[in-house]
Amino acid sequence: MFILGFHFPADMGNTVPDEKVVEKLDESGVDFGTVSEIKMVSEAHGVKEELSYTNKDTFLFKALVHYAKTAETDYMIYTNRYQMSELSKRIDSDDETMALCKKFDSMALFRIEAA
Amino acid sequence: MSELRQIAFYGKGGIGKSTTSQNTLASMAHYFDQNIMIVGCDPKADSTRLILHEKAQNTILQMAAEMGTVEDLELEDACKPGAGMFAPDAPGGWINCTESGGPEPGVGCAGRGVITAINFLEEEGAYEEDGLNFVSYDVLGDVVCGGFAMPIREGKAQEIYIVMSGEMMAMYAANNISKGILKYANTGGVRLAGLICNARMTDREYDLAWALARELGTQMIHFVPRNNIVQHAELRRMTVVEYSPSSDQALEYKELARKIIANDMKIIPTPLEMDDLEDLLMEFGLEEEVLEDEVGKAAEA
Repeated sequence: MFILGFHFPADMGNTVPDEKVVEKLDESGVDFGTVSEIKMVSEAHGVKEELSYTNKDTFLFKALVHYAKTAETDYMIYTNRYQMSELSKRIDSDDETMALCKKFDSMALFRIEAA
Repeated sequence: MSELRQIAFYGKGGIGKSTTSQNTLASMAHYFDQNIMIVGCDPKADSTRLILHEKAQNTILQMAAEMGTVEDLELEDACKPGAGMFAPDAPGGWINCTESGGPEPGVGCAGRGVITAINFLEEEGAYEEDGLNFVSYDVLGDVVCGGFAMPIREGKAQEIYIVMSGEMMAMYAANNISKGILKYANTGGVRLAGLICNARMTDREYDLAWALARELGTQMIHFVPRNNIVQHAELRRMTVVEYSPSSDQALEYKELARKIIANDMKIIPTPLEMDDLEDLLMEFGLEEEVLEDEVGKAAEA
Protein backbone atom coordinates (compact mmCIF):
# COMPACT_ATOMS: atom_id res chain seq x y z
CA MET A 1 0.00 0.00 0.00
CA PHE A 2 1.34 3.42 -0.94
CA ILE A 3 0.31 6.76 0.53
CA LEU A 4 2.10 10.00 -0.38
CA GLY A 5 4.72 7.74 -1.96
CA PHE A 6 5.47 6.00 1.35
CA HIS A 7 5.25 2.23 1.40
CA PHE A 8 3.13 0.61 4.09
CA PRO A 9 3.48 -3.17 4.46
CA ALA A 10 0.67 -5.33 3.08
CA ASP A 11 -0.21 -6.67 6.54
CA MET A 12 -1.57 -3.20 7.40
CA GLY A 13 -4.35 -3.78 4.87
CA ASN A 14 -5.84 -1.18 2.56
CA THR A 15 -6.90 1.30 5.23
CA VAL A 16 -3.77 2.70 6.83
CA PRO A 17 -4.44 4.89 9.90
CA ASP A 18 -3.77 8.59 9.26
CA GLU A 19 -1.38 8.80 12.24
CA LYS A 20 0.90 6.25 10.55
CA VAL A 21 1.20 8.57 7.54
CA VAL A 22 1.98 11.51 9.83
CA GLU A 23 4.64 9.34 11.52
CA LYS A 24 6.26 8.67 8.15
CA LEU A 25 6.37 12.40 7.42
CA ASP A 26 7.93 13.11 10.82
CA GLU A 27 10.53 10.37 10.35
CA SER A 28 11.41 11.51 6.83
CA GLY A 29 14.22 13.80 7.97
CA VAL A 30 12.76 16.83 6.20
CA ASP A 31 13.18 20.08 8.17
CA PHE A 32 9.68 21.53 8.03
CA GLY A 33 10.61 24.59 10.12
CA THR A 34 12.74 26.19 7.43
CA VAL A 35 9.81 26.72 5.08
CA SER A 36 7.36 29.56 5.62
CA GLU A 37 5.38 29.46 2.40
CA ILE A 38 4.34 26.99 -0.25
CA LYS A 39 3.89 28.51 -3.68
CA MET A 40 1.89 26.66 -6.27
CA VAL A 41 0.66 27.19 -9.80
CA SER A 42 -2.39 25.32 -11.02
CA GLU A 43 -3.22 24.95 -14.68
CA ALA A 44 -6.48 23.83 -16.25
CA HIS A 45 -7.69 24.41 -19.82
CA GLY A 46 -4.77 26.79 -20.40
CA VAL A 47 -5.70 29.00 -17.43
CA LYS A 48 -3.00 29.40 -14.78
CA GLU A 49 -3.60 30.38 -11.16
CA GLU A 50 -0.91 31.26 -8.62
CA LEU A 51 -1.51 30.04 -5.09
CA SER A 52 0.19 30.64 -1.78
CA TYR A 53 -0.26 28.55 1.35
CA THR A 54 1.22 29.54 4.70
CA ASN A 55 -0.77 27.73 7.36
CA LYS A 56 2.15 26.05 9.10
CA ASP A 57 0.08 24.26 11.74
CA THR A 58 -1.58 21.82 9.43
CA PHE A 59 -0.96 18.32 8.14
CA LEU A 60 -1.32 19.66 4.61
CA PHE A 61 1.54 22.13 5.08
CA LYS A 62 3.81 19.37 6.34
CA ALA A 63 2.87 17.10 3.44
CA LEU A 64 3.46 19.88 0.92
CA VAL A 65 6.84 20.82 2.37
CA HIS A 66 7.86 17.16 2.31
CA TYR A 67 6.78 16.87 -1.31
CA ALA A 68 8.49 20.09 -2.41
CA LYS A 69 11.72 19.11 -0.70
CA THR A 70 11.91 15.49 -1.87
CA ALA A 71 10.29 15.43 -5.33
CA GLU A 72 12.43 15.20 -8.46
CA THR A 73 10.75 18.19 -10.13
CA ASP A 74 8.14 20.83 -9.30
CA TYR A 75 5.39 18.72 -10.93
CA MET A 76 2.92 17.31 -8.43
CA ILE A 77 2.06 13.66 -8.96
CA TYR A 78 -1.74 13.47 -9.13
CA THR A 79 -2.07 10.47 -6.78
CA ASN A 80 -0.03 12.19 -4.06
CA ARG A 81 -2.01 15.41 -4.39
CA TYR A 82 -5.36 13.63 -4.13
CA GLN A 83 -4.12 11.67 -1.13
CA MET A 84 -2.91 14.88 0.57
CA SER A 85 -6.36 16.36 0.12
CA GLU A 86 -8.09 13.19 1.33
CA LEU A 87 -6.04 13.08 4.53
CA SER A 88 -6.12 16.81 5.13
CA LYS A 89 -9.91 16.84 5.00
CA ARG A 90 -9.90 14.34 7.87
CA ILE A 91 -7.06 15.87 9.91
CA ASP A 92 -7.25 19.64 9.31
CA SER A 93 -10.28 21.84 9.62
CA ASP A 94 -9.50 25.51 8.85
CA ASP A 95 -11.15 27.25 5.92
CA GLU A 96 -7.93 28.12 4.07
CA THR A 97 -6.82 24.48 4.06
CA MET A 98 -10.25 23.18 3.04
CA ALA A 99 -10.31 25.67 0.17
CA LEU A 100 -6.95 24.39 -1.04
CA CYS A 101 -8.13 20.78 -0.71
CA LYS A 102 -11.06 21.61 -2.94
CA LYS A 103 -8.67 22.93 -5.58
CA PHE A 104 -6.52 19.80 -5.19
CA ASP A 105 -9.53 17.60 -5.94
CA SER A 106 -9.82 19.04 -9.44
CA MET A 107 -8.26 17.68 -12.64
CA ALA A 108 -5.90 20.68 -12.87
CA LEU A 109 -2.15 20.20 -13.04
CA PHE A 110 -0.17 21.65 -10.12
CA ARG A 111 3.42 22.79 -9.75
CA ILE A 112 4.92 23.41 -6.34
CA GLU A 113 7.77 25.31 -4.72
CA ALA A 114 8.83 25.73 -1.09
CA ALA A 115 9.81 29.30 -0.17
CA MET B 1 19.29 -14.07 -8.14
CA SER B 2 15.93 -12.44 -7.34
CA GLU B 3 12.76 -14.45 -7.83
CA LEU B 4 11.01 -14.09 -11.19
CA ARG B 5 7.74 -12.18 -10.80
CA GLN B 6 4.94 -12.90 -13.26
CA ILE B 7 2.53 -9.99 -13.48
CA ALA B 8 -0.43 -9.30 -15.73
CA PHE B 9 -2.33 -6.23 -16.83
CA TYR B 10 -6.03 -6.92 -17.30
CA GLY B 11 -8.82 -4.54 -18.20
CA LYS B 12 -11.66 -3.97 -20.60
CA GLY B 13 -10.88 -3.40 -24.28
CA GLY B 14 -9.99 0.19 -25.12
CA ILE B 15 -9.15 1.21 -21.56
CA GLY B 16 -5.50 1.93 -22.44
CA LYS B 17 -4.11 -1.31 -21.08
CA SER B 18 -1.36 -1.80 -23.65
CA THR B 19 -0.33 1.85 -23.47
CA THR B 20 -0.26 1.81 -19.68
CA SER B 21 1.55 -1.51 -19.47
CA GLN B 22 4.23 -0.60 -22.03
CA ASN B 23 4.90 2.81 -20.47
CA THR B 24 5.07 1.29 -17.00
CA LEU B 25 7.30 -1.60 -18.05
CA ALA B 26 9.51 0.82 -19.97
CA SER B 27 9.94 2.81 -16.74
CA MET B 28 10.71 -0.33 -14.76
CA ALA B 29 13.44 -1.19 -17.26
CA HIS B 30 14.86 2.28 -17.84
CA TYR B 31 14.76 3.84 -14.38
CA PHE B 32 15.02 0.74 -12.20
CA ASP B 33 17.18 -1.63 -14.29
CA GLN B 34 14.58 -4.39 -14.41
CA ASN B 35 14.82 -7.03 -17.17
CA ILE B 36 11.42 -7.89 -18.57
CA MET B 37 9.72 -10.21 -21.03
CA ILE B 38 6.36 -9.01 -22.38
CA VAL B 39 3.90 -11.68 -23.45
CA GLY B 40 1.16 -9.94 -25.41
CA CYS B 41 -2.08 -11.92 -25.06
CA ASP B 42 -4.29 -9.75 -27.21
CA PRO B 43 -5.23 -10.99 -30.71
CA LYS B 44 -4.60 -7.51 -32.12
CA ALA B 45 -0.94 -7.87 -31.07
CA ASP B 46 -0.35 -4.31 -29.90
CA SER B 47 1.27 -5.08 -26.55
CA THR B 48 4.84 -4.58 -27.75
CA ARG B 49 4.75 -2.02 -30.58
CA LEU B 50 5.97 0.91 -28.47
CA ILE B 51 8.91 -1.09 -27.14
CA LEU B 52 9.84 -2.44 -30.59
CA HIS B 53 9.06 0.77 -32.54
CA GLU B 54 7.05 -1.40 -34.92
CA LYS B 55 3.47 -1.48 -36.18
CA ALA B 56 2.68 -4.98 -34.92
CA GLN B 57 4.99 -7.82 -34.10
CA ASN B 58 4.59 -11.14 -35.94
CA THR B 59 2.70 -13.37 -33.56
CA ILE B 60 3.49 -16.90 -32.44
CA LEU B 61 0.25 -18.25 -33.89
CA GLN B 62 0.79 -16.43 -37.18
CA MET B 63 4.35 -17.74 -37.56
CA ALA B 64 3.36 -21.25 -36.48
CA ALA B 65 0.61 -21.24 -39.13
CA GLU B 66 3.10 -20.13 -41.78
CA MET B 67 5.60 -22.80 -40.80
CA GLY B 68 3.01 -25.53 -40.39
CA THR B 69 3.41 -26.17 -36.66
CA VAL B 70 4.61 -24.43 -33.52
CA GLU B 71 7.38 -27.06 -33.16
CA ASP B 72 9.07 -25.58 -36.24
CA LEU B 73 9.28 -22.19 -34.59
CA GLU B 74 12.52 -20.91 -33.01
CA LEU B 75 12.57 -18.68 -29.93
CA GLU B 76 14.59 -16.00 -31.78
CA ASP B 77 11.76 -15.72 -34.32
CA ALA B 78 9.05 -15.28 -31.71
CA CYS B 79 10.83 -13.30 -29.01
CA LYS B 80 12.38 -10.04 -30.17
CA PRO B 81 14.63 -7.71 -28.17
CA GLY B 82 13.30 -4.23 -27.56
CA ALA B 83 14.50 -1.29 -29.65
CA GLY B 84 16.36 1.82 -28.52
CA MET B 85 16.84 2.10 -24.77
CA PHE B 86 15.26 -1.34 -24.22
CA ALA B 87 17.81 -3.26 -26.29
CA PRO B 88 20.04 -5.75 -24.44
CA ASP B 89 23.17 -3.66 -25.03
CA ALA B 90 21.64 -0.33 -23.94
CA PRO B 91 22.17 1.00 -20.40
CA GLY B 92 19.50 0.00 -17.86
CA GLY B 93 17.23 -3.02 -18.05
CA TRP B 94 16.23 -4.77 -21.26
CA ILE B 95 12.83 -5.84 -22.57
CA ASN B 96 12.09 -8.89 -24.71
CA CYS B 97 8.84 -8.94 -26.64
CA THR B 98 6.51 -11.64 -27.82
CA GLU B 99 2.90 -11.72 -28.99
CA SER B 100 0.66 -14.78 -28.82
CA GLY B 101 -1.71 -13.63 -31.55
CA GLY B 102 -5.14 -15.11 -32.09
CA PRO B 103 -7.43 -16.72 -34.63
CA GLU B 104 -9.12 -14.96 -37.53
CA PRO B 105 -12.08 -12.91 -36.30
CA GLY B 106 -15.09 -15.13 -35.75
CA VAL B 107 -13.08 -18.36 -35.85
CA GLY B 108 -11.60 -20.34 -32.98
CA CYS B 109 -10.63 -19.45 -29.44
CA ALA B 110 -8.14 -16.70 -28.57
CA GLY B 111 -7.35 -18.44 -25.29
CA ARG B 112 -5.87 -21.37 -27.17
CA GLY B 113 -3.42 -19.00 -28.79
CA VAL B 114 -2.43 -17.64 -25.41
CA ILE B 115 -1.75 -21.04 -23.92
CA THR B 116 0.06 -22.25 -27.05
CA ALA B 117 2.31 -19.21 -26.83
CA ILE B 118 3.03 -19.62 -23.13
CA ASN B 119 3.80 -23.33 -23.51
CA PHE B 120 6.10 -22.60 -26.45
CA LEU B 121 7.97 -19.91 -24.51
CA GLU B 122 8.37 -22.22 -21.51
CA GLU B 123 9.62 -25.13 -23.60
CA GLU B 124 12.10 -22.90 -25.40
CA GLY B 125 13.50 -21.59 -22.09
CA ALA B 126 12.34 -17.98 -22.48
CA TYR B 127 11.47 -17.82 -18.77
CA GLU B 128 14.96 -18.94 -17.79
CA GLU B 129 16.87 -16.18 -19.48
CA ASP B 130 19.71 -14.89 -17.35
CA GLY B 131 18.78 -11.82 -15.32
CA LEU B 132 15.06 -11.89 -16.14
CA ASN B 133 13.16 -10.12 -13.32
CA PHE B 134 9.60 -9.83 -14.64
CA VAL B 135 7.31 -11.56 -17.11
CA SER B 136 4.36 -9.35 -17.98
CA TYR B 137 1.15 -10.53 -19.65
CA ASP B 138 -1.07 -7.98 -21.34
CA VAL B 139 -4.51 -9.50 -21.52
CA LEU B 140 -7.65 -8.30 -23.25
CA GLY B 141 -11.12 -8.60 -21.86
CA ASP B 142 -13.06 -8.91 -18.68
CA VAL B 143 -12.64 -12.66 -18.10
CA VAL B 144 -16.16 -13.54 -19.24
CA CYS B 145 -14.26 -15.55 -21.84
CA GLY B 146 -12.33 -18.36 -20.15
CA GLY B 147 -9.71 -18.11 -22.88
CA PHE B 148 -8.56 -14.76 -21.68
CA ALA B 149 -8.30 -16.14 -18.15
CA MET B 150 -5.62 -18.57 -19.38
CA PRO B 151 -2.64 -16.81 -17.76
CA ILE B 152 -4.56 -16.97 -14.45
CA ARG B 153 -6.00 -20.45 -14.89
CA GLU B 154 -2.69 -21.97 -15.79
CA GLY B 155 -1.02 -20.39 -12.78
CA LYS B 156 1.30 -18.28 -14.92
CA ALA B 157 0.37 -14.73 -13.93
CA GLN B 158 0.56 -14.45 -10.16
CA GLU B 159 0.12 -10.74 -9.63
CA ILE B 160 -2.72 -8.96 -11.42
CA TYR B 161 -3.02 -5.24 -12.03
CA ILE B 162 -6.39 -4.15 -13.35
CA VAL B 163 -6.34 -1.09 -15.58
CA MET B 164 -9.63 0.77 -15.18
CA SER B 165 -11.15 4.24 -15.18
CA GLY B 166 -14.06 5.99 -13.53
CA GLU B 167 -16.48 4.87 -16.24
CA MET B 168 -19.24 2.37 -15.70
CA MET B 169 -18.06 -0.37 -18.07
CA ALA B 170 -14.47 -0.14 -16.84
CA MET B 171 -15.70 -0.56 -13.27
CA TYR B 172 -17.91 -3.47 -14.30
CA ALA B 173 -14.97 -5.14 -16.05
CA ALA B 174 -12.68 -4.57 -13.06
CA ASN B 175 -15.21 -6.27 -10.81
CA ASN B 176 -15.60 -9.15 -13.27
CA ILE B 177 -11.85 -9.66 -13.53
CA SER B 178 -11.78 -9.79 -9.74
CA LYS B 179 -14.37 -12.57 -9.90
CA GLY B 180 -12.06 -14.46 -12.26
CA ILE B 181 -9.13 -13.99 -9.90
CA LEU B 182 -11.21 -15.17 -6.96
CA LYS B 183 -12.21 -18.29 -8.88
CA TYR B 184 -8.62 -19.39 -9.40
CA ALA B 185 -7.00 -17.86 -6.29
CA ASN B 186 -7.01 -21.01 -4.22
CA THR B 187 -5.92 -23.44 -6.93
CA GLY B 188 -3.36 -21.35 -8.78
CA GLY B 189 -2.15 -18.80 -6.26
CA VAL B 190 -3.08 -15.79 -8.38
CA ARG B 191 -3.63 -12.56 -6.44
CA LEU B 192 -4.97 -9.07 -7.14
CA ALA B 193 -2.14 -6.56 -6.69
CA GLY B 194 -4.02 -3.33 -7.34
CA LEU B 195 -6.11 -1.13 -9.60
CA ILE B 196 -4.44 1.33 -11.95
CA CYS B 197 -6.76 4.19 -12.82
CA ASN B 198 -5.99 5.27 -16.37
CA ALA B 199 -7.94 8.46 -15.95
CA ARG B 200 -10.57 9.75 -18.32
CA MET B 201 -10.56 12.89 -16.14
CA THR B 202 -14.20 12.54 -15.15
CA ASP B 203 -15.63 14.08 -11.98
CA ARG B 204 -14.54 12.41 -8.72
CA GLU B 205 -12.67 9.73 -10.67
CA TYR B 206 -9.99 9.29 -8.01
CA ASP B 207 -12.60 8.87 -5.27
CA LEU B 208 -14.60 6.40 -7.33
CA ALA B 209 -11.56 4.29 -8.23
CA TRP B 210 -10.51 4.22 -4.58
CA ALA B 211 -14.00 3.29 -3.45
CA LEU B 212 -14.00 0.29 -5.79
CA ALA B 213 -10.48 -0.68 -4.69
CA ARG B 214 -11.55 -0.63 -1.03
CA GLU B 215 -14.59 -2.79 -1.76
CA LEU B 216 -12.40 -5.30 -3.59
CA GLY B 217 -9.97 -5.35 -0.66
CA THR B 218 -7.10 -3.94 -2.68
CA GLN B 219 -5.41 -0.59 -3.35
CA MET B 220 -5.67 1.93 -6.16
CA ILE B 221 -1.94 1.83 -6.73
CA HIS B 222 -1.74 4.80 -9.05
CA PHE B 223 -3.89 7.39 -10.78
CA VAL B 224 -2.45 8.03 -14.25
CA PRO B 225 -3.68 11.42 -15.53
CA ARG B 226 -4.59 11.92 -19.16
CA ASN B 227 -1.91 13.74 -21.13
CA ASN B 228 -1.63 14.29 -24.89
CA ILE B 229 2.07 13.50 -24.79
CA VAL B 230 1.10 9.80 -24.58
CA GLN B 231 -0.58 10.04 -27.99
CA HIS B 232 2.30 12.06 -29.41
CA ALA B 233 4.73 9.36 -28.32
CA GLU B 234 2.47 6.62 -29.73
CA LEU B 235 2.47 8.29 -33.15
CA ARG B 236 6.22 7.68 -33.17
CA ARG B 237 5.66 4.16 -31.81
CA MET B 238 7.45 5.04 -28.60
CA THR B 239 6.77 5.06 -24.90
CA VAL B 240 6.70 8.43 -23.15
CA VAL B 241 9.75 7.37 -21.17
CA GLU B 242 11.74 7.23 -24.39
CA TYR B 243 9.99 10.06 -26.26
CA SER B 244 10.24 12.60 -23.45
CA PRO B 245 11.99 11.23 -20.36
CA SER B 246 11.84 14.53 -18.47
CA SER B 247 8.13 15.12 -19.10
CA ASP B 248 5.52 15.22 -16.34
CA GLN B 249 3.89 12.08 -17.72
CA ALA B 250 7.17 10.15 -17.66
CA LEU B 251 7.35 10.99 -13.94
CA GLU B 252 3.88 9.53 -13.44
CA TYR B 253 4.88 6.24 -15.09
CA LYS B 254 8.16 6.21 -13.17
CA GLU B 255 6.26 6.49 -9.88
CA LEU B 256 3.89 3.69 -10.90
CA ALA B 257 6.89 1.54 -11.87
CA ARG B 258 8.55 2.18 -8.50
CA LYS B 259 5.41 1.14 -6.68
CA ILE B 260 4.92 -2.06 -8.68
CA ILE B 261 8.50 -3.11 -8.00
CA ALA B 262 8.05 -2.47 -4.26
CA ASN B 263 4.46 -3.73 -4.04
CA ASP B 264 3.80 -6.49 -1.54
CA MET B 265 0.01 -6.17 -1.35
CA LYS B 266 -1.34 -9.21 -3.13
CA ILE B 267 -4.81 -10.23 -2.02
CA ILE B 268 -7.70 -12.51 -2.84
CA PRO B 269 -10.32 -10.01 -3.98
CA THR B 270 -13.83 -9.63 -2.64
CA PRO B 271 -15.86 -8.76 -5.76
CA LEU B 272 -19.12 -6.89 -5.44
CA GLU B 273 -22.55 -8.26 -6.21
CA MET B 274 -24.17 -6.47 -9.15
CA ASP B 275 -26.58 -4.55 -6.86
CA ASP B 276 -23.68 -3.30 -4.72
CA LEU B 277 -21.72 -2.23 -7.79
CA GLU B 278 -24.75 -0.31 -9.05
CA ASP B 279 -25.14 1.34 -5.64
CA LEU B 280 -21.51 2.43 -5.82
CA LEU B 281 -21.97 3.84 -9.31
CA MET B 282 -25.08 5.67 -8.16
CA GLU B 283 -23.27 7.11 -5.16
CA PHE B 284 -20.76 8.70 -7.54
CA GLY B 285 -23.36 9.81 -10.08
CA LEU B 286 -22.53 7.31 -12.84
CA GLU B 287 -26.02 5.90 -12.65
CA GLU B 288 -29.23 7.62 -11.67
CA GLU B 289 -31.78 6.18 -9.33
CA VAL B 290 -35.04 5.46 -11.11
CA LEU B 291 -38.41 5.08 -9.42
CA GLU B 292 -39.80 1.56 -9.75
CA ASP B 293 -42.91 2.73 -11.67
CA GLU B 294 -40.74 4.65 -14.19
CA VAL B 295 -38.72 1.61 -15.30
CA GLY B 296 -39.50 0.76 -18.92
CA LYS B 297 -41.64 3.87 -19.40
CA ALA B 298 -40.95 6.03 -22.50
CA ALA B 299 -40.18 9.73 -22.04
CA GLU B 300 -43.43 10.77 -23.76
CA ALA B 301 -45.66 8.29 -22.00
